[in-house]
Amino acid sequence: MTAASVTGTPPRLSRAGRLVLLVLLLVALALLGIGLGSSRMSLDRVLLALAGEGARSDGIIVWSLRMPRLLMAVLCGGALALAGFILQRATRNVLAAPSVLGIVDGGALGVMIFLFLFSNESNALTVSILWQPLAAASGALLFAAAVVLLAVRTGAPPLRIILYGVALGALAKAGVTLFMIDGPVHRASQAATWLAGSVHEARWSDVSTLAAALAVLVPLAFLVMRRMDQLQLDEQSAAATGLPVRATQLVLFALATCLTAAAVSFAGAVGFVGLVAPHAARLVIGGRALPQAVGALLLGSAMLVAADLAVRIAFAPLEVPAGAVTAVIGAPYFLFILLRAGRVHA
Amino acid sequence: MLEDDRTKRPEIELRDVALGYANRLVFEALDLSVRTGRLTALCGPNGCGKSTALRAMRALLPAQAGNVLLKGRSVAEFSAKALAREIAMLTQNPAAPDEMTVHHLVSLGRYAHRTGFSSDARADRAAVAAALDSTNLSDLGDRAIGTLSGGQLQRVWIAMVLAQAAPVVLLDEPTNHLDIAHALEVLSLVRRLGAQEGKTVIVVLHDLNLAARFADDIVFFQGGKVAGCGPVEEVFRRELIEEVFGIECLVRREEAADRPYCIPLAACPGRRERLVEP
Repeated sequence: MTAASVTGTPPRLSRAGRLVLLVLLLVALALLGIGLGSSRMSLDRVLLALAGEGARSDGIIVWSLRMPRLLMAVLCGGALALAGFILQRATRNVLAAPSVLGIVDGGALGVMIFLFLFSNESNALTVSILWQPLAAASGALLFAAAVVLLAVRTGAPPLRIILYGVALGALAKAGVTLFMIDGPVHRASQAATWLAGSVHEARWSDVSTLAAALAVLVPLAFLVMRRMDQLQLDEQSAAATGLPVRATQLVLFALATCLTAAAVSFAGAVGFVGLVAPHAARLVIGGRALPQAVGALLLGSAMLVAADLAVRIAFAPLEVPAGAVTAVIGAPYFLFILLRAGRVHA
Repeated sequence: MLEDDRTKRPEIELRDVALGYANRLVFEALDLSVRTGRLTALCGPNGCGKSTALRAMRALLPAQAGNVLLKGRSVAEFSAKALAREIAMLTQNPAAPDEMTVHHLVSLGRYAHRTGFSSDARADRAAVAAALDSTNLSDLGDRAIGTLSGGQLQRVWIAMVLAQAAPVVLLDEPTNHLDIAHALEVLSLVRRLGAQEGKTVIVVLHDLNLAARFADDIVFFQGGKVAGCGPVEEVFRRELIEEVFGIECLVRREEAADRPYCIPLAACPGRRERLVEP
């Protein structure tokens, strides 16, 4: 194999080099994320605090406030991006994403039902808020299972799976709207924050729960990379090369759903990271599934960290959900993908 | 002598096979056997089930009844990868992302030879290099497939099928969308490679004259039945072709290649009925 490209494109950084750049970008954003906030810290203070040698107050700000928030953004962004990457491979469609397939909306409905069932007259929760992630995960898993069941029953091609997802997602959204209108005002605002998706309330316990889930799911995803490479072929050709296509798609769907459920149960319905990051990884990194998946993870993390940073700087002292920013970036990007896809297939 | 024995044995057999899709039964009871080491062309009018039969041989379409046998063993008994090591197939409209490189695409043909973590990287590389070499693509390995011409792209897909290193190769209309020069190029390549490596090649062809020019055996399908099956010299006859396709035609001989060819004269749908209702 020749390492240099003969493709006529100008010489550019190698794939590994581009991945290293993404890592550096993420580290830079992370340091900014720790340094910036309601009280600003210079880089040397951040580094000292991280090393445990700075001022005591700096240490508290860094380790108890900003670090869990930062890590939550890194983990959620990465998980959503990887889920999106897997779904795009499973359906052979760049428009597939956790939010497109109704998984996130299912989670939202789970949260709404939870808030509805367990609130008393005075708008206080009758059970611990710690159960909310479980409600979100249940809703997400339930809706994903419904999409898969519909698809399996009808033997639907990938495009139809997306349409089923959109339809069921719309159903879940309608349910969410009903609960918002019908429910108490206080709960509606809490639900709205969840729906936009944010990491500002992250706790260390959430971070470690999510990290534990990802420690299982991410390695599993990396075990099926070769299958995802194979799925770039049309289904018939992929089957002819020896891939059990339907079984593989089912496994990938399950993985993506668990990743999404894990992420949104803590951060809420952060939009578009799962759509934009894998697509951008395809453009920036390219090549086989493995480097692209790593690229998607890094880009997803960077995207959510940057979004959280942006809301902290732009809207302080208000806490605007980071998901609002990812949506503002993501929705136009979605249009860009649509237009580009239209051009290619024209 | 030994070679003769081998080519008389059937490689793939369909016994009493019922095939079809949700709303349409294409074959009620198809019987067909394809001989080892030969190039067999499947021909017939549109919708006669050529591609359906081919897909059944590769187990991409399950038989609703009857048996599809590979060397005497039912294809349904093979695992996905084990069957892929025996039979490779170029599907009718293969697709892959435009930005994928030629080398990457061809290497996807190696999937069935990789088990767990113990893939033989050297054998994979050698097989991919050999496939690129025999399809004259070695210089294009790093090109994105979206930048290739139709003829080049078809060669890439054939290279992927070759990299799979299976003794049986199925090709579903490999000359589709190709002009005559590229069609000839692709079929001579298939013919040469099949002969060199003693592969059993089964190819669905629309063009009768290409079939007569390149195939050893021809199978004519018509109305859910096998209308004729055997060596080109035996089945490429005017009466049979006229009945299978419902046309009037002449069959002549091309001296240089010593092969028959067909000159179609007029459509004549009435002829077809004779065959369907004997």
